[in-house]
This record gives sequence, C-alpha cells and structure tokens, in this order.
Amino acid sequence: MAAPMELFCWAGGWGLPSVDPDCLAVLVSGAPLGRRGKKRRRWDLPLPCRITPVALALQKYNADYDLSATQGADTLAFVSLLEEKLLPVLIHIFWVDAKNYVEHTRKWYAENIPFPLNFFLPNCMHKQHLERLQLMWGDGYMEDEEKLEKELYRDARECLTLLSQRLGSQKFFFGDSPASLDAFVFSRLAPLLKAKLPNGKLQQHLKSLQNLCNYCTSILTRWRRTPTNGATSCCQCWWGWQPCWAMPS
Amino acid sequence: MSLVAEAFVTQLAEEQILLSDNASSLAVQAFLQMCNLPVRVVCRANAEYMSPSGKVPFIHVGNQVVSELGPIVQFVKAKGHSLSDGLDEVQKAEMKAYMELVNNMLLTAELYLQWCDDVTVEEITHPRYGSPYPWPLNRILSYQKQWEVRRKMKAIGWAGKTLEQVLEDVDQCCQALSQRLGTQPYFFNKQPTELDALVFGHLFTILTTQLTTDELSEKVKNYSNLTAFCRRIEQQYFEGHDKDSSTTVAARSAKRSLLR
Repeated sequence: MAAPMELFCWAGGWGLPSVDPDCLAVLVSGAPLGRRGKKRRRWDLPLPCRITPVALALQKYNADYDLSATQGADTLAFVSLLEEKLLPVLIHIFWVDAKNYVEHTRKWYAENIPFPLNFFLPNCMHKQHLERLQLMWGDGYMEDEEKLEKELYRDARECLTLLSQRLGSQKFFFGDSPASLDAFVFSRLAPLLKAKLPNGKLQQHLKSLQNLCNYCTSILTRWRRTPTNGATSCCQCWWGWQPCWAMPS
Repeated sequence: MSLVAEAFVTQLAEEQILLSDNASSLAVQAFLQMCNLPVRVVCRANAEYMSPSGKVPFIHVGNQVVSELGPIVQFVKAKGHSLSDGLDEVQKAEMKAYMELVNNMLLTAELYLQWCDDVTVEEITHPRYGSPYPWPLNRILSYQKQWEVRRKMKAIGWAGKTLEQVLEDVDQCCQALSQRLGTQPYFFNKQPTELDALVFGHLFTILTTQLTTDELSEKVKNYSNLTAFCRRIEQQYFEGHDKDSSTTVAARSAKRSLLR
C-alpha cells in the first residue's frame, strides 16, 4: 500500500470538496489520505501552475493501472487540450471577469480566509491570474471584447463539445472504471457546473451538454460514498469549515 | 470555390530562423502540400512584424493574411479543402487533443531550449536572431525577445524546470505520439490530417537541426516509428520538389535530409 500523505488544500464550497481545481483533482483521484487524518486548509498555497505534473503524479497512484498504452497517450493529449483551451478561460471567468470576480470569487475567498489575509490575498491572486492571462493572450485582451468572445470563448466551447463527443454515453472516459483523466476533467468541469456565477456564458454551454453534467454528478456521488484507505469521509465535511476524516480504528 | 493559385508562406530569413519557428513553418508547408495546394516560401527578416498575430509563419493569399496553423486550417477549410472531413466525432476530438499535446509540450520545449538554455542562447539563438541587423540593434532585439519568452515561460510554470526535466517531457510526448501512431502510416490510418503535418513539422525539424548537443534529437530517435513516419512524409510530399529551391526542405541551411 502506498504511503499515506497529508494533503494541504483549499476548503470546500459550492457543493464540492474543494473550490480549487488542482486540489479537487487530487481529492477525487483516490490518492491515499491516510492515518494522519487532517485534510487541512492552507491559505498560502502557491498559485497552481500547470496541472500536467499533478496529472502525471496521479498516475503514480495506480489510477491508470488498467489502461493500455494508447489510452495513456490519450490521457496526456486530453490533459493538454484542457490546459490550453479550457483552463485559461476558466481562470478568466472566475478571477478576471469583473462581475464574477467581485460578486462571487472574491466574496467567497474573503469570507473563508482569516483576518488579516482576507483583505489582500484575493486581490493578490487576482493580479497574478490577470498577469498570467495577459502574457498568454496579449496585454490588451480585456479591451478586445470581440476577440475574447469570438476566439477564446469559442475555443472553450469547442473544447467542452469535444469532451462531450469523446465521452459519448460511456460512464467514464475509458470504460467502466475511472482513471486519472476522469479526475482531471471532473476537477475542471465541476467548479464551472456548481458555482453560482452572475455571468455564466460558458456555464450555460456546459449545462447544455447533458452527458458531461451527468458525468460530474455521478463522480461527485461516487466520491461521497467511497471510503478512502480506511478513513471514512464525513459528508458534512464539504459544508463546514473544519474538514476532518474519521480516524481508522 | 478554389483557393487562389499562389499562396506564399512567409517566414524569417534562412540564417535568422530558429528551431520553433522553423518547425511551425514546416508544419504549414506540409499541410498545404497534403492539401495539394501550391505554395511558395518567402523569407523576410521582419516576418514577425508583418504577421497579424506576431507569430510566423503566415500565408498571404490574394488580399488576405492568415497566421499560425490553426487559423490557416480553418481558412483552407472555408475555401473547400479539408484533410479531416473523413473523421468521425471521436477521432476529431482525439486529433485536436493530440495537436494541443504537440503545442503544449514539443513547441514549448523548443522555445525553452532556444531562449532559456544559456549555452544555446549564447551560441545559436542570439547570433541567428539578430543576424539581419547591425550592432547594437541585433543585441537589443534578441534580448527583448528573450525577456518576453522568459516571462511567458514563468507564467506557464516552465521557468523553474531544468533542461533534464524538459527533455523528459519531450520523451513523454514522443512516447505518447509513438503509441498513438503504432504501425499505421498516418495517425488516422489511411489519410494524413493536419495532425500529421504538425507532428512532421516539429519532429523533422528536431531531427535535422544542429544544436549544441544531440540530446533533443536522440529523444525522438528512440522511437523508430516516428523517424519512419518523418521519412515517409518527406519522401511523399517534399522529395518531388527538390529542383525547386524555394519549396525544398533540404535547401535550408544547417539542415540535412533524413535519408543521408
């Protein structure tokens, strides 16, 4: 059995075990969170950089044991697709779009980060995300509404549609058992699906793809029911601000 | 509606062009050859500034200018030529995903090697990039470009990587491509698609460009089906144009054919 590890992650919210996509991917992957127990909140988590290292790390916990070589290659390809086309737009929706950031994201983080960090940490994260997007898309991308709508949102919508077509009517991307790609896709889609965003253009497109919505719901339900390495998860943990695991006897 | 008879691919001048731009340019040329569209390669020192997106290559067809492979594929499709019409929805999704894999890993690794690896920067990149310009403009422009690329690398989390880690990423990417290709002639069996053009552009350039070390090309050579794939596409789409120096791949400086 793999050595248990202590996980530092952002707390849960919006009906999810964690609001941060990278933390969510690790949580639902079934990576061993063992006897040490506490899934602790940390306010000084570094800004998540590219998920590829996390996706590859997930594979080391045997999430992909049953996959063929081609399916492993497909995993890497779809992770790249999500990172290039969907993730930047998600960052824009949650952290840069004025309405969403002020009324939703900043509000949540300010309420959940202790004093005095809650006064400046959300803004700091907002600036880091904005700078990252400006480097990727050009400094003036916010002013060019047409480019934003036509190219960037269009690419993100196309990415969601491609995921939906690839998933089809299957339960998971590679048959009946979940793999690391499922954890990764879920971690990107679930916040978009569950958060109550004032400006939810991409959210509406996701909700129109019924198989992806059912997919996210079934993974959430499955995660709720599955004990992790002997530690029993407590359903109330997602709602309260003191997440805990029942210690194995 | 047929495409205008002459489209030309504009890229940086032959002594100036770098690994990543060469790969992107070759991918576009391969794509247009696969579509059976005549193409003329034109080299300009200021191609980056002429491009609408700031990136090379771009095609100039009639009075329209389109840059980068993705928009060029869309443009050519709008004119009635497409390589991926025969694919079903699942295959199209996979094709797009693998194209992003190549952009995400191979292209970024090429950029890292040429702008963030100090030895390569000093010996190859700075001399080549600034070669059309007099001193001090040559140094100013290349430092400016280096600063820009390093900022982008930092934004995407690659600045902290070592060369060994980058080569490891290239190896994983090649492994994924090799597994997907298998023993088929092309990625989607019988006919080439834009994915084949993109993969050929990058792999052929890596295999045939002389750098300070051979480590990058050795990673690709580990996969025999990938080198065979490159050889097959070179023979089928480029060998016939050997006499025409404006389109031949072998005419470029610091290049050698895979057949030698």
